[in-house]
Amino acid sequence: MDAQMTEDQSLLKDAAERYLRDSYDFNGRRERILEGVYSDPGQWQSFADMGWLALPIPEEFGGLGLGTREMAILAELCGRFLVTEPLIDTLTSTTAILSRGEQRETLLPQVAEGTLVPIAAIDEAHGGSRLTPTTTLTQTDSGWQLTGSKHWISAGASATHLIVLAQSSEGLAWALLPVEGEGMEYDRFPTHDGRGGASCHFDLALENDQIIAIGDTAAAALEAYRELAMMLSSAETLGATQAALDTTVDYTKQRVQFGQPLASFQALQHRMSNMLIQTELTRSLVYAACHAADNGHTEHPRLARAAKVKAATVGRTVSQEAIQLHGGIATTDEYIVGHFFKRITALESWVCSRGEALQEFMALASR
Amino acid sequence: MNASNPIPTDYGVFREAIRTFLNDALTPELIRAGQRTTSVFSDFEAGKTWQTILHAKGWGAPEWPMEYGGTGWDIQQRYIFLEECKLANAPNPVMMGIQMLGPMLMHFGTEAQKGRFLPGIISGDDVWCQGYSEPGSGSDLASLKTTAERDGDEYIVNGTKIWTSMAHHSNWIFCLVRTDKNVKPQAGISFLLIDMATPGITVSPFPSLDGEVEQCQVFFENVRVPVANLLGEENQGWTVAKYLLEFERGGQHFTIELKKQLAKLRMMMASSTHRATDDPTYAYRVAETEIDIMALEQTELRIKGSISAGDNPGALSSLVKVSGTELGQRCAELLIEAAGQSAMPWQSAVLSPDYTGDTAAPTECVTTMAEYINSRATTIYGGTAEIQRGIIAKHVLEL
Repeated sequence: MDAQMTEDQSLLKDAAERYLRDSYDFNGRRERILEGVYSDPGQWQSFADMGWLALPIPEEFGGLGLGTREMAILAELCGRFLVTEPLIDTLTSTTAILSRGEQRETLLPQVAEGTLVPIAAIDEAHGGSRLTPTTTLTQTDSGWQLTGSKHWISAGASATHLIVLAQSSEGLAWALLPVEGEGMEYDRFPTHDGRGGASCHFDLALENDQIIAIGDTAAAALEAYRELAMMLSSAETLGATQAALDTTVDYTKQRVQFGQPLASFQALQHRMSNMLIQTELTRSLVYAACHAADNGHTEHPRLARAAKVKAATVGRTVSQEAIQLHGGIATTDEYIVGHFFKRITALESWVCSRGEALQEFMALASR
Repeated sequence: MNASNPIPTDYGVFREAIRTFLNDALTPELIRAGQRTTSVFSDFEAGKTWQTILHAKGWGAPEWPMEYGGTGWDIQQRYIFLEECKLANAPNPVMMGIQMLGPMLMHFGTEAQKGRFLPGIISGDDVWCQGYSEPGSGSDLASLKTTAERDGDEYIVNGTKIWTSMAHHSNWIFCLVRTDKNVKPQAGISFLLIDMATPGITVSPFPSLDGEVEQCQVFFENVRVPVANLLGEENQGWTVAKYLLEFERGGQHFTIELKKQLAKLRMMMASSTHRATDDPTYAYRVAETEIDIMALEQTELRIKGSISAGDNPGALSSLVKVSGTELGQRCAELLIEAAGQSAMPWQSAVLSPDYTGDTAAPTECVTTMAEYINSRATTIYGGTAEIQRGIIAKHVLEL
C-alpha cells in the first residue's frame, strides 16, 4: 500500500532513495563515526547540490519553496539509511526560525549552498526541552550580550552556527552565533546515534543583525519549530522503524534454527505482523499530519502531536522487537539493526518528548 | 492529488441530503433500535423495517452496481452515507445478503440465479444467513464435514453448521458443503444456496454471553437442494468463499463507530456521576486510544484512496480488521471501566426498541456490559485476529 504522492514527490523520493542506496554505505558510515567524523563534508556538499538543503527555502531566496511533506520524504529516508548529517536539524531550524528573520536574504542562500549549518539550541543543563530559558539576552550600548549555556544539542558537533533560544526583556528571543569564537566554550561529544552532539557555555557580545527574532515573532518561531520537529522526527522514526522491520523479515527468512527458517515459526510471524500493522498505522498518521500542515488545516497541531506520540510509541516497540527476533547478532555494533534502535531512541525525546506531545494533544483536544 | 484527505468539501450538499432523509425517515422506535445495538445486529424487526424504507428510497444497497439496484455513488459518498446513518442511530439491517452474498452472486452467479435472488436481497424480503463454520471447523474452515451428495438434479445435504448468526430469522442460507472427500480439503468444497423451509432443516438458537439470542446451530438431515442452487462450479466453493471473505473484511469502516464510542467516552468523563472523572490515568488512556483511532482513520482513507485509484487493498484489509476490532475492544474496556458497577444490571427488555420504561442503570450504562461482552467476539468472527495476522505474515511479509 503505497501512500499516494504527487508526481514531483515521487521523483524526489526515488532520486533521493537511489542516491542514498548507492552512496550511503553502512560500513563506511560506521568507520567514519568511530574516527569522529559525524558529518561527511562530501555528503553534505552532495545534499546541497541535490537541492535538499534548499527544499523549504522560498524561491525568491534561491530555494525550491517546497513543504513539510517533501521534507518528510527526506527525513524518512534519513531514518532508513541512518544519515548522521544534520539534515532534519538544519531544515527545521531554517524553516521555522531563520526564515523569519530580516537577515534571511543573506542567510538562506548560505544554508542552501551548505556553508551555513544552523542548529537550534533549546535544552539547558537540567535536561528536558524547557521553554523558559535561563539563557539571557540583554541590550547593551553597542548591541547585545548573550549569557548562558545550552546542552545536549543533537548533531551539535556538525553545526557551524547555533540559533540560541534566550530570554530577553521583550520575551523570548532567537540569536544566531558561530560555534567558534571569543566568549564561547563549545564542547563536542560522541553520541549513541552517531551524529555527535555538543554542549556549550557562552558570555559574548552580539551585533544587531545576529538577533533573528524577538518577542512574539520568537514565540511563534518556537511553536513552528517544535511542531515541524515533531513531524520530521516522526517521519525519520517511521523510516528507521520500517527499515528495522524489513531487516528483521529478511533475517528471519534466512536464519535457520531447529532445521527451519525462523520466519516459519508462527510465534514470530504474528509478532512481525504486529510490527507491520503498527508501522502502517503510523505512516498514515505521519503523512496526514504533514498534509494538514501544508494545507493549513485547523487540525494540524493535533495531528502533529498525534503523529509524534504514535511514531515514538511504535518506533520503540518495533525496534525492540527487531532486536529480540534477531537474537544475539542484533546486539553487536557491526550489525545494522541495533543502529535503528539507537536512532529511534534518540528521536523519541528530540525537541519534544512523547509525554509532552501527549499532554499537548490532550490540551488541544479539550478545547 | 494527495490522498491523505481525499474528501473534497463539496460533498457537503450530498451529506445534507442524506441528513434530511434520515431526519424524516427514522422513527423514534428505529432510533432506539439503533441506540440499543450492542453487537453488529440491531433488533431484527427494526432492521428489516429500515431495509424496506431504504429500498423504497432506492438506497437499499448503495455499494451494488446500478444495474442491480445500486446508487452509483462514489466511494466517498458511500462512506458519508454510512457515517450519517451511524450518527443518526439508524438500525443495522441483517447485512449478510447485501454485503456478502450479493457481490458473489454478481461475480459467480448465472443470469437465472442473479434474477432470482438479487431482488429479494436488496428489498429485504429475503433474509440470508451464512453457513460456514461447523462444530469441528472454525479457523480451519476447509476441514468442514457437511456433505452434499449428487442425486439426479438434486444434492442431498447432511451435517451441521454453527455460529450461524440470525439463522432463526432467515429464510435462506448460503452454505459451504463437501462434494468431494478424495481430494485436498479446499478442492472438494462447493457453495450451495439453500431454502430454510426445505424439509430436514432444524434451527437451534442459543443465547450468547450477554443473554441475548443471535447465534444458532443449524442441522441438515437429508436436505434436498436443487442443483440449480449451486453457486459457481462444483468443487469451486473455496474460491467463491475466499472472494466473499475479502468483502467481509474490506467492507467495514471501523472508525465511524469508534469515533462514536470516543464521543461517549468523553461524555462520561465530563459527567461527575462516573468514576473515570477522577482518574488522571484514565484521561491519558482515552487520549492514546484517540490517537490510535486517528491512525486507523487515516489508514482507512489511504485504502479508500488506493481503491479509488483502481488498486486492490487485498491482504491489507486484514490490517484494518485487526486494528479496528482491537480498538473497538479497547473502547469497550474504557467504557466498562467508566461505568463501573452501574454497568452490571442486566435488563434485557431495554434492548427492545418498543421499550420506553425505566432503565435499571443510567441510560448510557445500561447496555455497556453487553457491548463489552460482544466486543470479545469481534476478534473471533470473520477470521480470527490470529488468522488475520497469519494472512499478513504470508501475503504481505511473505514469511
